[in-house]
Amino acid sequence: MSARTPTVCPYCAVGCGFYITRSGIEYMQDHPVNEGSLCPKGNAALDVLNHVDRLRYPMMRIGDGWIRVSWEEALDRLAEEMKRALREMGPKSIAFLGSAKCTNEENYLFQKIARLVGTNSIDNSARRCHSPTIVALRRMLGTPAMTNPITDLALSDCILLIGSNLAENHPVVARWILRARDRGAAVIVADPRVTPTAWLADLHLQLNPGTDIALINGMINVILREGLENRSFIKERTGGFEELDVSDYTPDRVSSITGLSAGDIVRAARLYAKSSASTIVYCMGITQHTCGTDNVTACANLALICGQIGRPGAGILPLRGQNNVQGACDMGALADFYPGWRSVDDSREIDELRRLWNAGALPVGRGLTADMMPDADLRFLYVMGEDIVNSDPTVSRRRGKLKRCFMVVQEIFMTDTAKLADLVLPAAAWAEKEGTFTSTERRVQWVSRAGEPPGEARPDIWILAEVAARLGFDFPSEPEEVLAEINQAVPAYRGISRRNAGARGGIIWPCPHPDHPGTPVLHAERFSTPDGRARISPVHHTPLERTSPEHPLILLTGRVVLHYNSGSMTMRSEGLVKREPEMHVDVNPDDAARFGVADGDTVVVETGWGRARARARVTPRQKRGTLFMPFHFPETNLIASELLDRNAMMPELKIAACRIGRAD
Amino acid sequence: MAKIYLNPERCIGCRSCEVACEREHGHPRISVGTVSDLAAVPLYCHQCDAAPCAAVCCTGSLRQDGDMVKFNPDLCTLCGLCLVACPFGAIELDSMVQRCDMCGNGTPVCVTTCPAEALVLGDVDVVTRSTRARAAAVLAARLR
Repeated sequence: MSARTPTVCPYCAVGCGFYITRSGIEYMQDHPVNEGSLCPKGNAALDVLNHVDRLRYPMMRIGDGWIRVSWEEALDRLAEEMKRALREMGPKSIAFLGSAKCTNEENYLFQKIARLVGTNSIDNSARRCHSPTIVALRRMLGTPAMTNPITDLALSDCILLIGSNLAENHPVVARWILRARDRGAAVIVADPRVTPTAWLADLHLQLNPGTDIALINGMINVILREGLENRSFIKERTGGFEELDVSDYTPDRVSSITGLSAGDIVRAARLYAKSSASTIVYCMGITQHTCGTDNVTACANLALICGQIGRPGAGILPLRGQNNVQGACDMGALADFYPGWRSVDDSREIDELRRLWNAGALPVGRGLTADMMPDADLRFLYVMGEDIVNSDPTVSRRRGKLKRCFMVVQEIFMTDTAKLADLVLPAAAWAEKEGTFTSTERRVQWVSRAGEPPGEARPDIWILAEVAARLGFDFPSEPEEVLAEINQAVPAYRGISRRNAGARGGIIWPCPHPDHPGTPVLHAERFSTPDGRARISPVHHTPLERTSPEHPLILLTGRVVLHYNSGSMTMRSEGLVKREPEMHVDVNPDDAARFGVADGDTVVVETGWGRARARARVTPRQKRGTLFMPFHFPETNLIASELLDRNAMMPELKIAACRIGRAD
Repeated sequence: MAKIYLNPERCIGCRSCEVACEREHGHPRISVGTVSDLAAVPLYCHQCDAAPCAAVCCTGSLRQDGDMVKFNPDLCTLCGLCLVACPFGAIELDSMVQRCDMCGNGTPVCVTTCPAEALVLGDVDVVTRSTRARAAAVLAARLR
């Protein structure tokens, strides 16, 4: 093995490159996205590899304890239990959860097993970050993904960040926004909180939680009234404009809904519409609502009527959360899509896969999504690299129900989810295996092996091929062979190989043939809808009275820069934990006085779903009437909302009515 | 000689510089101060030309060497005067005096790792020239 191995960061979806050397990390200054830089989590990435807590052997539950078993025993038992469930209760009784932290090749094989045994009950954590993006952007633009690469932000003259705290969640993206500012670009941040992202703003729109549609429609109202829309773009490239009626959304009315001044709404609209290239960046502040799909639709409407899409510096950038959440979805680890974004309802498209897989019949219709699994009558659940107990509120609260089925967890650590399992399989971490990861900007990068997994831990792809063999399927077990099959199954990946994905910075899909340079900007000539036109679709603000005398405050959830999702990795990094050691809740000073809470107090926050303890942090950056809790700590999930966006089956994790009081 | 300069307007408070410095040296020699939750400022050794730490050092353990303040741990008595003398609080004690040694073979790790390019390495005239160029671009864009 050479002295340094190029790799891609395992944390968020920005896809930063660095080298792993014998002594640690070496920065990769010629990587196109991060140019050598790394956020604190990236700097701590190697902490997980040789961690003392790593799972080293397959383990089987006996009563309340565990025994170490051989791989042979573990895999035989897995196959036997799956076959038993299939025989006795049929495919409806089994479900699969793929991983946005595993490679494309692993997710592809995982969903293939699910589909070949007859179920579409396969999902991944994208359900809880960008399922509304998938529904809305696929319908409106044809492709549910970021339209432009991250570096394109530097070319924008106006950047609208809405529902994204990227300075904490995707810090390297801030680099490109600052480059745009160096050229004089205007940055608008719409967020109820004063975040480090809001520090980047020329105009911070501190809107009331859940009023994004009103704000966007208000901007569209101003744009149409002042004639700032792009008539020729609307005429030549879109459909549905005539149905877009936003006459109700006058700046004054929108001001009363959002709590913003009418002047700021007008100013934001003019900045966005008049700039030569504008970009909208959004994240879970847009998607994690009961109206998440409508929120995304509103953003896309704004871009479409202004023609701010399909050019360098002009586009819509949904920032994905995990290092391979885009790829896991491209590979069909979703209850509503087969590989290549083929709808589970379209038997014609599925037919191509049936031939490729040499399968008899494939399941049609949406399977169980992640949040439906605990309440379903399951006999067998296979979880690959997901800590659902600490990331999915429904599962957190109803974890007991999962114990009724035979549960397999394939993991690198003994997570709270793994503790519920009947069988725990030790997996290799990202740098101990090979394959491709697809970053938020559709950049597919090959990751090389930098070291060996601990103990008997094995790459997921090896485990899946062994499982498949026991079910009577002949799967390839080498990443390159699987990628060759993905070339056939996923049109956007047709030309992707170890060669182009392994080059510095990889390749951005769609890549239709091996010599194609990749497609950084989508929708340049035509949209990927059947008729090539984008669909403008009217959406409306639904006033929802969330607070009540019993629950007078709104709880907002999100992340902090030093931790990552459920914390199974970052909570094992000493350098990160000591800087952000415990659960806290941010409280506005007025609210603190009103509810008798002082800085540093242990408090109880209670919603209609549950109660949690946290340390109060009284800060003026928290908007009056709202609280903020990071979801890296298990408590936040116990009190998060279970309401769903029915279009995308996205739970409303972002907001919930709540109350606060001192713990004593 | 090139020094590390700070553009506090760019800092996003991510503390990547702290984690990187700690990874390199075992103890962070840079720390990000967040003021009233409304701005963040990395505090670190500026290699002062008239360095108070060297001025108060009784043993010559800290001494001015060209454009840099060099530290010789063999002469250090751990008296702690330098800790208080540093106007930025950039010197700490963790069994031995911890101060910036301009690591990284040319570019210190805090500079390379900074996602926001808030920390830059350069000669003072190069840094001010690029700051002027940026300011001019922003003003010109406002006039457009």
